[in-house]
Amino acid sequence: MISTSREAVRTEIPVLRRRHTYGSVGERISAIIFGPAPFGWYLGLGVAMLFIGVLTYSVWYLIYQGVGIWGINIPVAWGFAIVNFVWWIGIGHAGTFISAMLLLMRQNWRTSINRFAEAMTLFAVACAGMFPLLHLGRIWVFYWLFPYPNVMRLWPQFRSPLVWDVFAVSTYFTVSLIFWYVGLIPDLATLRDRAPNRLAKMAYGVLALGWRGASRHWQRYQTAYLLLAGLAAPLVVSVHSVVGMDFAAAIVPGWHTTIMPPYFVAGAIFSGFAMVLTLAIPLRAVYRLHDFITIKHIDNCGKLMLVTGLIVAYGYAAELFMGWYSGDTFDWYLNLNRLAGPYGWSYCTIIVCNVLVAQFLWFRRVRQNVPLMFLISILVQVGMWTERFVVVIVSLHRDYVPSAWGMYAPTKYDWSTLLGTIGFFLACFLLFCRILPVISIAEMRELVRATHGGTRPPEDFEPKYAK
Amino acid sequence: MNDTKQSILPRDDAGDQSAALPTHFWRGLEELAQTDAFLDAVAREFPRAASEWSDPIGRRRFLKLMAASLALAGIGTSPGCYEHPQGKLVPYPQAPEEIIPGRPLYFATAMPARGGYGVGVLALSREGRPIKVEGNPDHPASLGATDVFTQASVLDLYDPDRSRNVTFAGEISSWGAFDARLQAVLTSRQQDGRGLRLLTGPITSPTAAGQLADLRKRFPNMVWHQHDPMEPVNTRGAARLAFGAPLRPIYDFGPARVILSLGSDFLFEEPLSVRYAREFVNGRRVRAGRAAMNRLYVVEPTMTLTGSMADHRLPLGSRDLHALAAAVARGVGVAVPDASAPPLPPRYRPWIDAFVADLRQPSDGGPTLVVAGESQPPAVHLLAHAINDALGNIGKTVRFLDPVAMEGAESLEPLVADMNAGQVDALLILGVNPAYSAPADVSFADALARLSNARREGELANFTARLGSHDDETSFRCQWHLPEAHYLEAWSDVRAYDGTISLIQPLIAPLYGGRTQIELLQSLLGRGQRTGMEVLQAHWRSLTGEAAFQAWWIATLQKGIVAGSTLEPRTPPAVRRDALANPPPTSAGGVEVLFRPDPTVWTGEYANNPWLQETPKPFTKLTWDNAVLINVRMAQSLGADGTPLKDGDVVRVTYRGRAIEAPVLVLPGQADNVATLHLGYGRERMGRVAMDDTVVRGFNAYLLRAADRPWGDAGATLERTGGWRQIVVTRNHHAMDELAGLPGEKPSLKPHSILAPRMSDDEVELHNRKIVRVATLAEFRDDPEVIHKAARENEKKPLLSLYPGWDYEHGFQWGMSIDQTACIGCNACMVACQAENNIPVVGKAEVARQREMHWIRIDSYFGGAVENPLVVHQPVPCMHCENAPCEVVCPVGATTHSDEGLNEMTYNRCIGTRYCSNNCPYKVRRFNFLLYSNYDDPSVRLRYNPDVTVRSRGVMEKCTYCVQRIDQTRIHAEKEVLDLEELARHAADPDERDRLLHRAREREQEIVNTLQTACQQACPTNAIIFGNIRDPQAGVTRLKAQPHDYSLLAELTTKPRTTYLGRITNPNPALASFAAGEERSA
Repeated sequence: MISTSREAVRTEIPVLRRRHTYGSVGERISAIIFGPAPFGWYLGLGVAMLFIGVLTYSVWYLIYQGVGIWGINIPVAWGFAIVNFVWWIGIGHAGTFISAMLLLMRQNWRTSINRFAEAMTLFAVACAGMFPLLHLGRIWVFYWLFPYPNVMRLWPQFRSPLVWDVFAVSTYFTVSLIFWYVGLIPDLATLRDRAPNRLAKMAYGVLALGWRGASRHWQRYQTAYLLLAGLAAPLVVSVHSVVGMDFAAAIVPGWHTTIMPPYFVAGAIFSGFAMVLTLAIPLRAVYRLHDFITIKHIDNCGKLMLVTGLIVAYGYAAELFMGWYSGDTFDWYLNLNRLAGPYGWSYCTIIVCNVLVAQFLWFRRVRQNVPLMFLISILVQVGMWTERFVVVIVSLHRDYVPSAWGMYAPTKYDWSTLLGTIGFFLACFLLFCRILPVISIAEMRELVRATHGGTRPPEDFEPKYAK
Repeated sequence: MNDTKQSILPRDDAGDQSAALPTHFWRGLEELAQTDAFLDAVAREFPRAASEWSDPIGRRRFLKLMAASLALAGIGTSPGCYEHPQGKLVPYPQAPEEIIPGRPLYFATAMPARGGYGVGVLALSREGRPIKVEGNPDHPASLGATDVFTQASVLDLYDPDRSRNVTFAGEISSWGAFDARLQAVLTSRQQDGRGLRLLTGPITSPTAAGQLADLRKRFPNMVWHQHDPMEPVNTRGAARLAFGAPLRPIYDFGPARVILSLGSDFLFEEPLSVRYAREFVNGRRVRAGRAAMNRLYVVEPTMTLTGSMADHRLPLGSRDLHALAAAVARGVGVAVPDASAPPLPPRYRPWIDAFVADLRQPSDGGPTLVVAGESQPPAVHLLAHAINDALGNIGKTVRFLDPVAMEGAESLEPLVADMNAGQVDALLILGVNPAYSAPADVSFADALARLSNARREGELANFTARLGSHDDETSFRCQWHLPEAHYLEAWSDVRAYDGTISLIQPLIAPLYGGRTQIELLQSLLGRGQRTGMEVLQAHWRSLTGEAAFQAWWIATLQKGIVAGSTLEPRTPPAVRRDALANPPPTSAGGVEVLFRPDPTVWTGEYANNPWLQETPKPFTKLTWDNAVLINVRMAQSLGADGTPLKDGDVVRVTYRGRAIEAPVLVLPGQADNVATLHLGYGRERMGRVAMDDTVVRGFNAYLLRAADRPWGDAGATLERTGGWRQIVVTRNHHAMDELAGLPGEKPSLKPHSILAPRMSDDEVELHNRKIVRVATLAEFRDDPEVIHKAARENEKKPLLSLYPGWDYEHGFQWGMSIDQTACIGCNACMVACQAENNIPVVGKAEVARQREMHWIRIDSYFGGAVENPLVVHQPVPCMHCENAPCEVVCPVGATTHSDEGLNEMTYNRCIGTRYCSNNCPYKVRRFNFLLYSNYDDPSVRLRYNPDVTVRSRGVMEKCTYCVQRIDQTRIHAEKEVLDLEELARHAADPDERDRLLHRAREREQEIVNTLQTACQQACPTNAIIFGNIRDPQAGVTRLKAQPHDYSLLAELTTKPRTTYLGRITNPNPALASFAAGEERSA
């Protein structure tokens, strides 16, 4: 393990450890795919497949019986499905943020983590995308949400934020997928060249779209990649803003606030980076990727979590303040009910996980302590999930008319669907690890060049982290 | 076991009918033995259903299962068991003249309701199926409105658990076999009828009374017994004491300016309650410039709907209530002997003084009225008669009528004694279910089982038969069970409480081959197989004469009442003062138990009616269950370790040596040391809805009831058992609201703290919601806008809308006004809506998940002290907002705005995102979380209203303002208007043309003014008014112009089309310091 002693902390930590060459980078990363899989991979996939089974049964039973198998009711007509949707889509933010925003800002430390973070985004958005469909009372007519031509000349109702959601999420998924795939093309060519058998060669060859590494290829590739990054960057902001507007456009106390969009985006990046850490820390341990994913990455993620965590904390404070300052009975009651109502535990959880725990990230010693960061990343995700629980459920359960108040209790199917999507996510991720390079080979080679300029590192190699 | 069965094979003593008789004996023997195996078998009567119910999701399917059995009925019924009506078949292409497909037909008939008294109804028939029941405006017990039971009665017709077969010894038999057996029994005995007993409910049918008289002539030694769990023993006993005659009081609440109720729930429990509610509320409608109200004082031990309407309510146990009545009587000048009433604590002195002063000199000079409840002992009734006498009310607001039910029946006790003594060898039970509803100390059930099972030389010694709608506790213990026809299948007649006779005509042939009581009495008379119609016509033909009969018959059937049949009030003799000297037997200490009919299943006869089971009971909002109602102090004293009992904690109620265990429910306003037990639950045997333990638990309060004190007495003890049972309430009934502007009202900062310890301190903010608004009459006179004083600041500055407004200046614009001063919270609108709009029942488990589907709900808000709160009922249908928050958030446009101002739901387009419900501030939308509607089931399908879509799983639904009725009315109006316009177009004379066009507009208005929503039509007090708000003359427009009209949550700028009139109360200034919420019974 990496030393976290005071001495080690003081020295500058590289984003690429040891002396790597173009060849060693390719060798090391493609070995994950072509080498034997570690026991942990089989174990993880086994567990994940089990949960996929749970998900399959839950979804089948849901479609067979109806959404009544969940704990939703009147007044709490949205339950875990929407909580999970918002949570997953939030997690899906970090990938594109890392790939696009950090690329545009020329943060070269992103190269080690952008590939799997983007994959994580896609899988998280896929998980997220399931829920709005599953939560429909009549899932078999979900396509009515899309503006497709039909003989009845019926269109979606464009004033509804749910329609905006359809566009925002599907656009986000599409652009993220294209961005990810374009980024993969040089690596797919590497894999094609390194593949041990014909079948793999052909598969990677088809996917590589005839990449030969010609300078013309590189030139166009980099332009396209940059343009796509420019396209993807605003989507990071837009998609969760729209999800925030799902709530802000309603008149439910606790939803009807203008802070929702920015607060949702910050929360999304907060939980997204937490998920990056949750994945990166076991990944580097299992595949011994300490060279590529260094303590610097973990430290940087911690800093970003601190910033976004502070924005989230500001959001909480602003909600409380506006509840009081507006003088609105219902708004103020909502805040009191969140704090001390029957679901008071959930508010305590979000304050502890999202505000208090995040404050530890001020300390470098914490940020560079890997087990501690793993714990914090888990806590933040629990906290952010609970925050969505507070937003969706605690706001709904007591709104305007006291006689229509109620309580919400999740059923086993609520839980099994949530756990099932976690399993689905993990399975996708583990399969991704065995099929595609978890770290971008091409970009790592660029990093090799940037740090020590070529195939052969100088004898006095002293990696420097470009600030 | 088999040997036993063989040995008691019934001997063939019914001639060649033996082939139809079963070959083995029934389960009654095991039942006598009370073996575990038997009890288990009873519990698993429907194992197929029971296994379904182990799954919480599958449990909701019980309704489907219960109905699916109907489909099997035709298979299970052997030929000959079902008598098909004889007649000629006419091909439908030559349709009956009066049936127009798509157009409903109304038939005037009558429902035999509580006490055997009839309620006139108009039954709506669609293509030959009765699907809805409305009140008959010409009938004195209805006045066009209905109560909750009348509305629900149509579902009983289609109840697939109604028995479908004649059974002997639990095996399917036939009417033919029964008739033969009956004649054999009747002819084999001595001709005088010795040993023959007839047990019925109260008989108010003139035809049946005539038959009974004939029967008694034919069998002079036959004894007729009568049983009615709601028998008004106290009222009748008091009348005998006071007047020496069994006179029945009938009240006129209309002119009464001051009303004192001594434990009377006259708005709900009396046979004429629907009419009383109308009269009472008519005396207190407050309109601008017409601000006069009657004043109601209620002294009662438990919270009733009448108590909730009181201007001053005093919760008192029965002993104190009697003492208070005596004190009031003395105050108005009745010489009440001192010894006859127990002393009363002095703190009630101001109340008594106020009552006396107000009764002697009402502020606006009109007559007064004192009403004693049936559950009060005769002494209280005597005092009420004496007070009314002293105040000169008799003949003005209270009149007396002769009995209309046939007199001369023996009660149940001598029957049981004779059965046990072997004096009875043939018993015929018509309708009533004494094995369930007899008082516990009469033990009728055991006696009946012994009678049915007794053998002489290996043969059945006796004959027992029972005509009933269900194979229930009594039928189970009889040899023969005979299915009874529903009133919508029957020819009969019935008298209302005031004597008015109605003919009962069938709308459909008996679905399950049932017979009526009249038909069975006819069999008993041995006059061959005359149908009910022939018997009925014969009776009336003999009265009207042959010549006039046909015209009379048609006219009476059309009108629904027999002209001139209403009884003239009798002038009673003066109240016998010596009767007052009889002190009531003083009760022992301890807790007083009250037995009351349940507000939804009544005495148990509606226990298999899922509509009623799911209707939330007033105040408690309890569904599918009954509970022991106690007050907060009792909950605290019964609790252990300082924690009060919470709802659902089980207590053991011990009373006169018998005990039951039941969950408690804390009821605000309950008198101290009083426990209310509702009858009607804990059915041992009926249908699947009533019986299954997983669906309806409940306890049988009859197991504690004593014959001498049917309404309860002191001397009970309650103790905590430590158990807990889930009881399901639809709403958080503890929710309270600050009731703005009530004099003397000082709302505590923590209204929930005692009632609901689980709620936290921060709910103080609840006060400012102003959901219900209350003002006193004096305040309203001073400032008619007083209701709006309660408005919050931001309500006065409405927000702007982002979207352009709608054009509301054309066509009809629908709106509704709900008068909270008039709403008595009786639930009739809820069940009427359910019947009209095909609203499914979801079952107890789903109600527990807060998924009930009622489109209109009654919210009850409590204000002030928990010991004696002020209650406001607020019916909440869809508000049909002009700026509807639900519409903008629907992604597929399934909920849209109509140009008539309706917020419409297109079920076919709904994909079930439920966003509309989240965004509805009133939470009036209902979602089909599972498949609640029943598509497969033949019986439920028959009942559906064909004008209303049956909603499938996964779609949202809500109140439509009965859009199907609107459309029908609009079509009707348009047709007439078009006809008139066509005439106008061809008119030569311009004046004539103008006249015709004017007439067209007038006619349109007339037709539209007849439009009523289902809830409005059912409402006994006209609290709900619906109409075209663009018509300045429409009732709804005039109500919306009232100064106390307000919108719910107006500050949200939703602009609801449903608005409310604030609740106006009329408290007595002399009792200002005791305004509702102040009097604590501690």
